[in-house]
Amino acid sequence: MQTVSSTIEAPTIKSSSLTRRFREFSLIGRDPMLSISLLLSGIFIFVFVVYPLYRSAAGGFISEKGAWDVTYFTRYFDNYYGPALRQSFIDTMEMGILTATAGTLVGFIFAYSIVRCRIPGKRFVHWLALVPTVSPPFALALSMILLFGRNGLISHKILGIEFVKGMNDIYGLDGLVIVQTITFFSVSYLILKAMLERLNPAMEEAGASLGAGRFHLFRTITMPLLIPGIAGSFLLLFVESLADLGNPLFIAGTKTVLSAQIFMAVIGEYNFQKASALSLVLIIPTLAVFLVQRYYVNRRTYISVTGKPAGSQIVEKDPLIRWIFNILAYLIIAFIIVLYVTIIYGSFSTAWGVDFAPTLRHWSMTITRGVEAILDTTFLSAMATPFAAILGMIIAWLVVRKKFTGKSVLDFTSNLGGAVPGTILGIGFILAFNKPPLALAIAIYAILAMFYAQAVGKNSAERIVILILGTALGVGLTRVDARIMYFCLGGLYVAMALIFMLTQRKFSKALITALIGVYVMSTNWAVVLSKPISDFSRSLEKGFWSNAIFQFADYLKVLLQPTPSLLAIALLFAGVILLQGTQGRPFRIGLGMLGLSVACALSFVGIPFAMVGGAYIIMAAFIVRSLPASVRSGVAALQQIDPSIEEASNILGADAQYTFRKVTLPLILPALFAGLIFSFTRHMTSLSAIIFLVSAKWRIVTASILSEWEQGGVGVAAAYSTVIIILVMIAIIVLNLIINKMFKGRGSVDMSQGF
Amino acid sequence: MYLTLENITKVFPPRGAAGEVTAVNDVNLDIKKGELVTLLGPSGCGKTTTLRMIAGFEFPTSGRIILDKQDINQLPPHKREMSMVFQSYAIFPHLNVFENIAYGLNVQRLSKAVIKDRVDKVLGLVHLEGYGDRAPTQLSGGQQQRVALARALIMEPKVLLMDEPLSNLDAKLREEMRTEIRRIQKELNITSVYVTHDQIEAMTLSDRIVVMNQGIIEQIGTPVEIYRFPNSKFVADFIGRANFVPGEVQEKIESKLTVKSLGQVIELKNIKREFNKLQAVTLIIRPEMIRIKKAGELFKGVIHRAVYLGDVIEYVVEVCGQLITGLETDPYVMELFPEGEQVTVGFAEGCIQVLPGE
Repeated sequence: MQTVSSTIEAPTIKSSSLTRRFREFSLIGRDPMLSISLLLSGIFIFVFVVYPLYRSAAGGFISEKGAWDVTYFTRYFDNYYGPALRQSFIDTMEMGILTATAGTLVGFIFAYSIVRCRIPGKRFVHWLALVPTVSPPFALALSMILLFGRNGLISHKILGIEFVKGMNDIYGLDGLVIVQTITFFSVSYLILKAMLERLNPAMEEAGASLGAGRFHLFRTITMPLLIPGIAGSFLLLFVESLADLGNPLFIAGTKTVLSAQIFMAVIGEYNFQKASALSLVLIIPTLAVFLVQRYYVNRRTYISVTGKPAGSQIVEKDPLIRWIFNILAYLIIAFIIVLYVTIIYGSFSTAWGVDFAPTLRHWSMTITRGVEAILDTTFLSAMATPFAAILGMIIAWLVVRKKFTGKSVLDFTSNLGGAVPGTILGIGFILAFNKPPLALAIAIYAILAMFYAQAVGKNSAERIVILILGTALGVGLTRVDARIMYFCLGGLYVAMALIFMLTQRKFSKALITALIGVYVMSTNWAVVLSKPISDFSRSLEKGFWSNAIFQFADYLKVLLQPTPSLLAIALLFAGVILLQGTQGRPFRIGLGMLGLSVACALSFVGIPFAMVGGAYIIMAAFIVRSLPASVRSGVAALQQIDPSIEEASNILGADAQYTFRKVTLPLILPALFAGLIFSFTRHMTSLSAIIFLVSAKWRIVTASILSEWEQGGVGVAAAYSTVIIILVMIAIIVLNLIINKMFKGRGSVDMSQGF
Repeated sequence: MYLTLENITKVFPPRGAAGEVTAVNDVNLDIKKGELVTLLGPSGCGKTTTLRMIAGFEFPTSGRIILDKQDINQLPPHKREMSMVFQSYAIFPHLNVFENIAYGLNVQRLSKAVIKDRVDKVLGLVHLEGYGDRAPTQLSGGQQQRVALARALIMEPKVLLMDEPLSNLDAKLREEMRTEIRRIQKELNITSVYVTHDQIEAMTLSDRIVVMNQGIIEQIGTPVEIYRFPNSKFVADFIGRANFVPGEVQEKIESKLTVKSLGQVIELKNIKREFNKLQAVTLIIRPEMIRIKKAGELFKGVIHRAVYLGDVIEYVVEVCGQLITGLETDPYVMELFPEGEQVTVGFAEGCIQVLPGE
């Protein structure tokens, strides 16, 4: 790994790397946009990725009493617990390897058919191959059971098989691998399709002109060039399979795999130490594969996947091979369609396996009792989506365009949150944000306050005064009674707005400051605003509308009452931007101090970062999970933009902020939209990361599917799954329409980048 | 001096397997106001890095850059009041021609009327009247080049920087744009720094040429000085073609130098450099300074190779075991000497450059 990756060097060649870095940071500090982006992404990733993962990893070694304890690791080696634990570890690995192999094979069949076999209905096959990526995690397991389970439509009803004890049924490793293969093969398909398309036909033509036969050609040229793609897809599927929670819970039967064991340890035993210990066992193979994938396979790639597809494509000449591939692909497509139709059918049939008569009972239950979960999920997913996509673009921009120490760390950790199994992240979130240590809040406040003082003050004296007075005033403000505190804090911002207007004559800044002030105050008003709405909902007859309106009151509260520590971070950044170029020393100090004090008070009110049970922690988990996809689509877009386009803007007088707004952003807008689509999809369908974070107040559909299933409500579970698929489809279609309207032919979303 | 580079050094930190790279090593350069200076050299010689340091995209590891008596080392690119024409043009693909050219003025928040006025004027300057609302994709390579130039010129920059701006054009267009750039630069009297690896481009455009090699400046001079009086074998070889002929100093009287070379003693005129008796030297002889006749010249040679190129005939002659390239430029000569023919060879003694050392 590079130790120094900066264009900004110390004045002399001999100066140590330390002074070099110091100089680098002082230069970054001079560009507020760059430093805000860096700090924002750095803090987000530290708080919501690195810290929870650390807590999750460390949690396995610390007993409930807080002492060092390795019980759950030694159990792997004793004779009582050992055999079962070891067996489940072996089963997990077996599942991963089988799924990865089968998924890669299916992915290859699709890729080869589409790229080289002139498959009829190419677009249709392509989109259907991507459908599994947008469906909830256990939809396919559910429909497999409906079709081939003990009371399954095909196995029982059509074939008439009576299952008795000891017979091999769909439950177990075989069923699980089939379901996972269908669920995850899309990733492999996209990787291999990109590889095949970018394979330069000239290479194979060169081989053929040298006299190589077809099979010789495939063995000596095509295959070796595809190996990195095949290896990459295998490793990715292996990780996906290990991380999968939904399918094993449904269909693993008597087998237990690690992700399900972790889930049971939390939900069944409420034993976080055990869960953390198991997480560590699970994270080791995952992380190893992740590292191999990133640092080995990607470097051995001969074909650049970011480049444009090669102009002409070779078509498979042997019609027999063409037909074999096309028929196989269509068989799998047919299977996928049957699976999805079964889900929809399942949601309408009275009692699956016994009475297939159509009914609307499940649906009416879903939209009355289930409306809360559906609305909550959609609201939280939609709220988190822009943040995930924008943060993804910012990180992509930093990683591709900027040079700074620690860039590779940022790149790595931003991917980590999506790469680790979600259950591990979920446990980490619970451990980290239940009773977070004050040190976390202090450290974050200290870094941001110093940055704030540095950006607002003009010399070190001013900076120290702002830092000390602002913090002191802020700590004082935390003593104010909670009921009027937000009025005081908001009031300070309104006062700042007045000063802006009177002394600086900057009316737009004053307006923004005043609005922020009102927003801060609204924490106190939120209840006043939402109470009439919830009262009104109670006055309605129980049903869809009453539930929906009641939820709306909640969402209003969420919007108006952000987690104070998060609001504090946002206000510090806002302060830096607003106070840029303030004239006059007393005003600089005064305004700077007031701004800092509000953020300081908010940073330490109550228990900072205690977010468990709230809406914001779920949104944070969503963002962490979907961030890598947005980063990837941003990176792919930025790599195709000539860096001198940004330099051209820069030398024409535009600073980083103006350049990003007027040049970079318009050019990566398609990628931003793609990021929005990926993020929303990922949020709506995520289960493993947020299953421990749902609360009585905040329900998530995927978790509801699971609990309905456990209570035998197959029809309702199917209905919920259908709802998610429909909502995601609507979002994709709407965003695609917007994109088509905005960029008439000028750019399109490459959907394959994000998966 | 308007723009001064003082002891500029740029060291790139080690990356992967490659160690530290000194891209630019202790470069000193003075550029007068209104002058066009070309940085010329092979790829990897540090010319682009030097240009990017002037622009502010790279920070010198040591040294100072002074513009108009102000140290601009610490200024970010957008505060340097320079503008740059990029090799790839770097035209904003989402903006039309007018918006591209007006970009820098929009940054300054000038009024719409002023912007329109100035854009129209500069569009005329680069002969793109009426192209304002075209999208960049609707332009040819040469037109894109003009847009890039117009976008830089409209800023009335203190220094105009050009990074191989013509290298993506075909030969004919390149010639046309070369004259065009020179015309506009002279018309507006813009101080310019131009980077190229094409010696003809450098010769036709420049007031002065800076020849760079491996991070250091080999020579600074007018095109004539660089061509006629190269002060190193590298410069002589990089600019035009040259024969390097070894010799030994016999005597130096005023500007006359007597050298023993290829078995004969010749007298060279206009030599400014001082030499000692018996010092080993190298004569730098351009192919067009060589006369090849059937008889009557000093050296005896054998034709090794003869190629008819249309405007000239190129001969490679073996003299005393050394191969020497010469050009026959007389348009009346129709017959080539066949290979193996015995000939005599003479040098234009008045314009040969002599360097110390082998």
